[in-house]
Amino acid sequence: MPSTRGASVIVLVGMMALAGCKIIKTPTAQEAAQSATGGFDPDRMVAEIWDSKVVSYLDKKAGPFSEVASLSASNLEAAGAKYGHKEKQGSAPWTFVARLSGTIVKAETKSRSAYVEVDADGDGKPDARVQIGPAIRGTAIRDSLDFVNFNEFKNQIEWAQYGKAFNTHVNGLVLEKLSRDQLVGKKLDAVGAYPEPAKGQLPLFVPAQLTVGG
Amino acid sequence: MKLTRRMTVAAFAAFLAAGSAIPAYAADLIAIITPSHDNPFFKAEAVGAEAKAKELGYETLVLVHDDDANKQSQLVDTAIGRGAKAIILDNAGSEASIAAVQKAKDAGVPSFLIDREINATGVAVSQIVSNNYQGAQLGAEEFVRVMGESGNYVELLGRESDLNAGIRSKGYHDVIDEYPEMKMVAQQSANWSQTEAYSKMETILQANPDIKGVISGNDTMAMGAIAALQAAGRKDVIVVGFDGSNDVRDSIKSGGIKATVLQPAYAQAQMAVQQAHEYITAGKKPAEEKQLMDCVLIISENADQLETFALTN
Repeated sequence: MPSTRGASVIVLVGMMALAGCKIIKTPTAQEAAQSATGGFDPDRMVAEIWDSKVVSYLDKKAGPFSEVASLSASNLEAAGAKYGHKEKQGSAPWTFVARLSGTIVKAETKSRSAYVEVDADGDGKPDARVQIGPAIRGTAIRDSLDFVNFNEFKNQIEWAQYGKAFNTHVNGLVLEKLSRDQLVGKKLDAVGAYPEPAKGQLPLFVPAQLTVGG
Repeated sequence: MKLTRRMTVAAFAAFLAAGSAIPAYAADLIAIITPSHDNPFFKAEAVGAEAKAKELGYETLVLVHDDDANKQSQLVDTAIGRGAKAIILDNAGSEASIAAVQKAKDAGVPSFLIDREINATGVAVSQIVSNNYQGAQLGAEEFVRVMGESGNYVELLGRESDLNAGIRSKGYHDVIDEYPEMKMVAQQSANWSQTEAYSKMETILQANPDIKGVISGNDTMAMGAIAALQAAGRKDVIVVGFDGSNDVRDSIKSGGIKATVLQPAYAQAQMAVQQAHEYITAGKKPAEEKQLMDCVLIISENADQLETFALTN
């Protein structure tokens, strides 16, 4: 009898341990999305178009950062038409695609929404803030693409999940590998997107390709 | 018997024909249907739509559905019966409203949706909605910043049938959940209601006295929450709302609520009427049915510029 009891205690402990595993495990965005919307899988959708469409689109669309920034300051619509994208209707700002090269002059790596500030023109002052995750603000990559459209999605929730999936993809592909040590003074090269910044604020750049070194 | 029946059908058909002829001489009525004006947000929509419609020479029929899909259905019947040329609608539920909008379309009355989407395209002519996800992210980023990226917090959710409740919550969590030190200790719906938020907040506070912040799905619930917190002497708790109402603006200015997110309700309603006008007069549809309007973060620095759901410069 005691041995049976011992065994059942072990079984119970085992079950609790298993149950514990289940509770701790957070569903991936993919699982959550699937259970919420029945088969809608934004992570897979992004993964499927990333290499074949997104990378080449950004590569082709991107202008040198200084050129994009100066044109958008003098003629926003012209800059948008050449280097940017926005939805035809509504009030979303332009999202620009640019190739950014410069020196890191400031690094904020304590926050979960970490970033580095980059001096692109050599005057020692930052010209852009590059998000390095893991928490990425906004949906700049999605919004820069002219071949995806809110109207093709069921509602804002799916559109939002799709936007987030680009950030998740960038995190896994580019940002998680980035060393966070002694970033200041290093050279940064990136291709990515940023929404038209509010007055007096630095462009908030989301990299799709990134190299830091030297 | 058969003859009588046939005659009844014929009479009915004649009646229908007469009914559908009404628009010919009541050519300029626009129906504006929203949730209850108790929430200043919906009132601003109705006022904005009505002002624009009058400016363009229309008569208006302003109705409220009180978030009741059955009532909404009756109001749509009323609008059709009165020969409205278009319906400006802030709907009573993203699933339940599809049928009502379809009914209007079948009767030849185009709908122009504002604020809330429906889970269908091709039924309404326009769906002009705030970018709730973008706005929620702005609110959540400010919430996390003021919280110092850590602490226990409460989330007040909106009405479940309203897609905007879900999308704002998702926007909040997509930001907040990136911060492992931020711990949600309670999450409850107060159905967009100020009084309900007040009582829910009282109860939550008793069970969780150690909270540091409350993030709310709209401004009326944020007002309810801050009133309950202040009544309990908890002026330290950070509250963030969503909408950009004048009430919350005043609270921000007096150091109560920390932030809200402005939805351009007034401009949205006016844009819908403009699109209705172009559709009625020229048969012109907008380039895209679903249209997102970006939201703006309101904090103490820019609260002064806010007036009736619009920013002045």
